[in-house]
Amino acid sequence: MLSEIAISIIAFSIGSNNTSNAFGVPVGCGVISFRMAILLIGIFVTVGSLTQVKVLETVGSIAKLNCAMILIVLVVSACMIVILNWKKLPVSSHQAIVGSMIGAGVVAGTAKLSVFASIVISWIISPIGALILAIVIYILSEKIFSRIPVFVVERLLYIMLIISGILIAYNTGANELASALAPVVSSKLIPHVEASVLGSASLIAGALILGGRVIETVGKDITTLDPLSGFSAQGSAGLTVFLFTLLGMPVSTTYCLIGGIVGVGLLKGVNAVKIKLLKKIVSIWIVSPLTAFMVTYIIARVVL
Amino acid sequence: MKFFRKLSFGRMESEVIELFKEHINTVKFACEVFLKAIETDDKSLLNQVCELERTGDRLRRDIALKLYGGAFLPAMRGTLYKLAETIDETLDMLEDTAIDYLRLNLHLDDELRELCVRVAKINVKMSNDLLEAFSALRSGDKLENRTVKIRVREREVDTLRNRIYEKIMKRNVSNYWEGKILSDFIDHLVYVSDVIEDAADLIQILNVSLR
Repeated sequence: MLSEIAISIIAFSIGSNNTSNAFGVPVGCGVISFRMAILLIGIFVTVGSLTQVKVLETVGSIAKLNCAMILIVLVVSACMIVILNWKKLPVSSHQAIVGSMIGAGVVAGTAKLSVFASIVISWIISPIGALILAIVIYILSEKIFSRIPVFVVERLLYIMLIISGILIAYNTGANELASALAPVVSSKLIPHVEASVLGSASLIAGALILGGRVIETVGKDITTLDPLSGFSAQGSAGLTVFLFTLLGMPVSTTYCLIGGIVGVGLLKGVNAVKIKLLKKIVSIWIVSPLTAFMVTYIIARVVL
Repeated sequence: MKFFRKLSFGRMESEVIELFKEHINTVKFACEVFLKAIETDDKSLLNQVCELERTGDRLRRDIALKLYGGAFLPAMRGTLYKLAETIDETLDMLEDTAIDYLRLNLHLDDELRELCVRVAKINVKMSNDLLEAFSALRSGDKLENRTVKIRVREREVDTLRNRIYEKIMKRNVSNYWEGKILSDFIDHLVYVSDVIEDAADLIQILNVSLR
């Protein structure tokens, strides 16, 4: 029961945050309504969660854990996500879960450091990949768009914003939610389909209840970007996470989106990038898995 | 290219584009009617200009309702609505010119009339250029040629305005109102080309807005 509650909390929090990753720009731009965004998220998160198991397998293989350890991992991860959300800091559920899993794995003596190392490398490469991809998408789009009538450009951007939103919604199910479900599914505490349905339902609830508030914030922030920059950042994040999902690597859409925005910002001059804010994001990026590791390690040592 | 053209046919977007074409056509028709009225000195035609101004108001409202009802990305809506307002301002200006001409009690001598007719003819050409510029915006044809043409014609009107002012400054008027109405009539007549030029600038801004 406790594992179901912890999964629901994590999925709820992913839903409240990642709705803005997927449809913050289209809803903020008025391309689609909030209701339509929730419907698309519901459909594609569930499809992603049910059809993709590679990330789930990777995260599940970090360490072989017993039920008590898994409960500690889930409770620590859920608490960390809730606290960081409450502090309004950009949090990646992957980092909390993976950090926590490796902490428990070290205590249990089953941690596979090679898997963990490949995940950390993915965390480093993915935002950089999104940054480069955003620059490529921006330059290519600019070249193509200069030869097409402006009304067609507008329609293309409209369609591509929705497609990239759908891609991110799919990634959310196949990557972000999969990471949250990995501890319970890999230890066979809950069957994959049941866990996916529970996770998707909680995620949709999070999107429905808190997603609107986050979308409003992101929408207002992102509308300072022109539609082409917004699309380049979002499209690059969607494609990068999708590629890593196919490779079975858990990576954060939020961090890839930040990478994409920085890429577009760099094209417009280094001054356009808020270095101070970027430093803060990078420090959270390093501190959050370390904290999850430490807390889980200490609790596991004390309790077991 | 055919594939790209098909993409541009969103229902609401198509309706807005058709409304814009109708709006600019209304300007062109109003310019033609005014030209005919001043050429033939047939003041009965001027009521038509006022009716066309009301049609313009309706079209502007319809465009605004469709734009803010969800047509086009928000990044374009502001400029599109500004374009509708500017096109409407052209019609307002033509209506003011027509009303001034109706109120004008004095007889325009041949030379002054000829200069005013030349300005009115340029206004007709400019409204036609504006229609072509808008069509180029939709089809992706070279827009610069059309907007440059509009700017050149506007400068031509500026030159004619100076000549008209030279003429009317030498002219005696019987009272203040006669002079004011004549001056307003000239101001409004030459200002039409300024507003058409503003509309052309907005079309050019739209052309680069999403790139």
